[in-house]
Amino acid sequence: MTRAGQHRRRALAALAAVTAGALTLTACGGGGDDGGGGGDGTVRILVLKHALTGPMSDMAWVDQIEEAAGVTIEWEEVSADWDQKKSTMLAAGDIPDLVVGTNAITNGDLATFNGLFEDLSDDLDALPNVTAMFEEVPATEAMATQPDGAIYSLPSYRRFWPETATRQFINQQWLDNLGLEQPTTWDELHDVLLAFKNEDANGNGDPNDEIPIDWSPAGDAGFGYFQPSVLLGSLGLPISDGGGAGYFVEDGVVKNFLVDERYREVVAFLHELYADGLVSQDVMTQDYSAYQSVARGDGDTARVGFTWGWAASDRVGAQLADQYAALPPLRANDSIAESDLTWSYDSYSLNYGVNSITMSAQSRNKEAALAVIDAFYDQDISIQVLWGDLDENITKLDDGSYEVLPPADETSDPSTWKWTTTLADNGPGWIRDDIDVVLPTDLAEAVEQSVPLEPAIANVDPTADIFPGALITMSQEDLSTISLNDTGIFGIAMQRWATWITEGGIENDWDAYVAELEGVGLTQNVEIHQRYYDEFVASQG
Amino acid sequence: MRRLLRARTPGDIAFSIGLFLVCGAILFVTLYPIYFVLIASVSDPTAVATGRVWFWPQGVSWFGYEQILDDSRIWTGYRNTLLYTVVGTAVNLLVTLPAAYALSRREFRPRRVLMFFFAFTMFFNGGLIPMYLLLRDLSLLDNWLVFVLPSAVNVYNLIITRAFFENSLPEELYEAATIDGASYGQFFVRMAVPLSMAIISVIGLYYLVQHWNDFFTGLVFVRDYDKQPLQIVLRDILISNQAFSGGAGASGGSGGGSYAQRYADQIKYGVIVVSTLPVIVLYPFLQRYFEKGVMIGSVKG
Amino acid sequence: MTALSPAPARSRPRTGAPVPAARPPRGHGLRRHVRRYWQLWAMAAPAIAFVALFAYVPMYGLQLAFREFDFAAGLSGGDWVGLTYFRQFFDSPQFWTLIRNTVVISVSTLVAGFLAPIALALVVNQVVGRRRKKFLQTATYLPHFISIVVIVGMLQVFLSPSSGLITRVAEMLGASGGNMLGASGFVPVYVLSEVWQHCGWNSIIYLAALASVDPQLYEAARIDGAGRFTIIRHIDLPALVPTMIVLLILNMGNVLNTGFEKIFLMQNPLNLGVSEVIATYVYKIGILSNQFSYGTAIGLFNTLINFTFLVVTNQIAKRVSSTSLW
Repeated sequence: MTRAGQHRRRALAALAAVTAGALTLTACGGGGDDGGGGGDGTVRILVLKHALTGPMSDMAWVDQIEEAAGVTIEWEEVSADWDQKKSTMLAAGDIPDLVVGTNAITNGDLATFNGLFEDLSDDLDALPNVTAMFEEVPATEAMATQPDGAIYSLPSYRRFWPETATRQFINQQWLDNLGLEQPTTWDELHDVLLAFKNEDANGNGDPNDEIPIDWSPAGDAGFGYFQPSVLLGSLGLPISDGGGAGYFVEDGVVKNFLVDERYREVVAFLHELYADGLVSQDVMTQDYSAYQSVARGDGDTARVGFTWGWAASDRVGAQLADQYAALPPLRANDSIAESDLTWSYDSYSLNYGVNSITMSAQSRNKEAALAVIDAFYDQDISIQVLWGDLDENITKLDDGSYEVLPPADETSDPSTWKWTTTLADNGPGWIRDDIDVVLPTDLAEAVEQSVPLEPAIANVDPTADIFPGALITMSQEDLSTISLNDTGIFGIAMQRWATWITEGGIENDWDAYVAELEGVGLTQNVEIHQRYYDEFVASQG
Repeated sequence: MRRLLRARTPGDIAFSIGLFLVCGAILFVTLYPIYFVLIASVSDPTAVATGRVWFWPQGVSWFGYEQILDDSRIWTGYRNTLLYTVVGTAVNLLVTLPAAYALSRREFRPRRVLMFFFAFTMFFNGGLIPMYLLLRDLSLLDNWLVFVLPSAVNVYNLIITRAFFENSLPEELYEAATIDGASYGQFFVRMAVPLSMAIISVIGLYYLVQHWNDFFTGLVFVRDYDKQPLQIVLRDILISNQAFSGGAGASGGSGGGSYAQRYADQIKYGVIVVSTLPVIVLYPFLQRYFEKGVMIGSVKG
Repeated sequence: MTALSPAPARSRPRTGAPVPAARPPRGHGLRRHVRRYWQLWAMAAPAIAFVALFAYVPMYGLQLAFREFDFAAGLSGGDWVGLTYFRQFFDSPQFWTLIRNTVVISVSTLVAGFLAPIALALVVNQVVGRRRKKFLQTATYLPHFISIVVIVGMLQVFLSPSSGLITRVAEMLGASGGNMLGASGFVPVYVLSEVWQHCGWNSIIYLAALASVDPQLYEAARIDGAGRFTIIRHIDLPALVPTMIVLLILNMGNVLNTGFEKIFLMQNPLNLGVSEVIATYVYKIGILSNQFSYGTAIGLFNTLINFTFLVVTNQIAKRVSSTSLW
């Protein structure tokens, strides 16, 4: 009895404490500090990092920014689930002085949350580096400027990246083993792949372990890098960013390749390959890491014959990279001239980072925040944000040029090292066009393996052949119409893409499919794009 | 075997053999994937992704675990999660159990309105934005109590507990107690709670695991990294799957992420091991409350 | 509200015990009520307070479904658009596909996910010997803790059409199921992996219910010469019924709910036709493209359907058994 009594008293006491606690909290709600950065020279920055990137406090360039701007920076570091975190944060109007990270704040966010972000167009006097960048690299200003002339967010400029992300590789050793030539047309590719499949191309005694062709899994929101959408270039259809949402321009008219005859030809060709068992069975369902892993084979023995990737050593691993040759674009058939070929033009995504730094309109410490922004665009700081600290990761040579050093950690590779030690491609910055930099090996390799593609890329005029989405900002209404329509369009299109390639049937389905896509908003989307494109052309002229 | 033979009829023996086979199948189906997680966490990620790891680890390396355990944030995360879980579960039980008991009393007429009042919130909620604004007004943002107070009552658990009280506490007990002059509170503390250890441990476990796995609260309502729970830290270490981070297609980050992706794949499995071990270890301690006849035994005993 | 009408005579406790001292009907109702029940009110009060504060206060956010989201004007300041967003959803070309996919996935998950834990609990309960029982229980409960990212990763490795273990075993058994990660395999793979992952965890509640069975009942049955199936049918199952009913009602309130993250991660172009559900659609249009109002409207539609199902099931349960939520 006494024990039970004690229990009871204890339980009730605890209960009372909890209730009281809840009430107290309710009562004193609304008090407490409310962030926003004090007026004491502290700038709060939310930074969207790659998950590999170490703590900001480990980066020496951060001290240089603090010194240059005369401020103390308080970091809030985010590397996962940003989309979910962001929408609540923005809708509640709760952002720190600055948000850093490529496309951390999208143009859609800028349009939806009007009033939340500082318009920098009247602060350019305080941003000499940024002003200079706008003059030297006019595209950066176009990217930053909203339809009404406001500038809420600034892009970065990286300059040294190749103009395409997707390079084409064939296993030269397999070709040599089988006494074959590099293919130049689709038909020749088909024959080569058949030989890869039927014979023991890698010479390990098993004629069945070769995967003649493999590509990166397409998502459900359009096309991306390392996907066979680049074959559209074999028919002279210009694409950008690996295909993206499908928009391109021909004679001043905006079109979408999803309903273009040439797209149909590409899909039909891919189905022929699939039907002959030449395409990896996993191609539609694997994830990106499986796609990468398979090509690495068992280390010494290659598994994949023909594929697309960023660079050979990245795609198939350093051990096998030597077996592969970078291949020029293929012609669809003999009626296509070499000079008609195109290739995916990705420079706007690779050499620029849109919306890499954004400032809060509620910042209580405007001068300090502006000073920080400008410091990011300083020459030395920009290069350190991209590749890492001076002396550790980069040497500045006496003639004023820079050399990116190999990773200090020998077990790492240049790309991982960069992402581990600094913000890399996620950071704002301006790499000047007139400085010399000895590039890290990963980038140098990509540049070198782009050489066979250069004539085809040069065939793409970034303002007349592709839809220059990076340079165009749209209104909120148009953005939401497009994204609503896109959900429907790609729900249909990507599923058909996968089914047609694996099961065939495009000939019979095509007309109904085109009508269906147009019905769920493709026509409307194309019209919207056309309107903006016309305005863009007018403003260029 | 001894036990099998003790069965009395041929039917019972057949039953025992059948049971043995079923249990064997269940064990295989559950344990093999767990075993797979274990070997995958120390294997070469390339071998895992290409289907070459099935029974033995391939290319053993402790890289994943080194990465995870080297990270000082892990330990802060562990400490925070421990605090949130212990305090949170205690509060949950203190709030849920009495309420469930009150609502289980059939003579307490308002209970039906109250049940509706609770059940309604399982479906209708105002969404994240007003919740965020409310928590900001209550100064609960970036406050560790945000892990405890808003989730103080889980209606689902409340309903289950109430059903249990309603159906498992013999009415005679209450009548007997009333005759002895016990009030509701006295009966609850002296009889209902000790007799319901089975459900209390289940609900306690539900709450505990809910707190342990909660990453959403930290994600949306906490910005100070020192207050983040383990799950947030682990999620940060584990590079989000490509569907989220966009692997090859990520804007701006292209060509870089693929090296990193390989390392992340190995960490992915190690993270499971590190984050679940404590909860798994705890479970057998609660299991004794599920032994047959705990409740009636204690009444009679 | 029915709850305010006089208690129906039929809802008597199963034990058959009379409700103590028939409630004094009217009169000084409130004072009597307070004097009699203040302790129960006090016990329920903290829970009521927490729910009122953290669930009801933010509920004003629901009006976003009927308003244009306008950041500058605040949640309740946007233009009133009535049912525009609901109509937009009903008229969208994806509407019926979304509903169909959602219902197929959730109903099959609900049915399988409801029955499997009951079966498992009955099996575990039959195992003789504490150690073995504990081991079996712990083993089956482990998968619950594997994160979704890893589950989906494992499914991909196990089911890969070229190298997956399960694919190979299926081929050896003569089945040529095609690509199980494609459209035809999506629902079964999703449902079975859900059952696999949560069956053990969900059986805990049933094991707790079985723990409260009076051991004397088993003794008596055995003396009567009852076989083990008979005991399961006449002692174990009835002990589970109240819990089953409550969980069934609660499950019925989930007819339009599906796990979001897992489906999202399992989606690929091949299965998109069957794997696009309301939850993933709302994510894609609501969160990724800032359509707050549209997202809220779809969510509210979802909720209304679910809630209707719950209320109906609850009414049915109240009629056919004495167990109900309210």
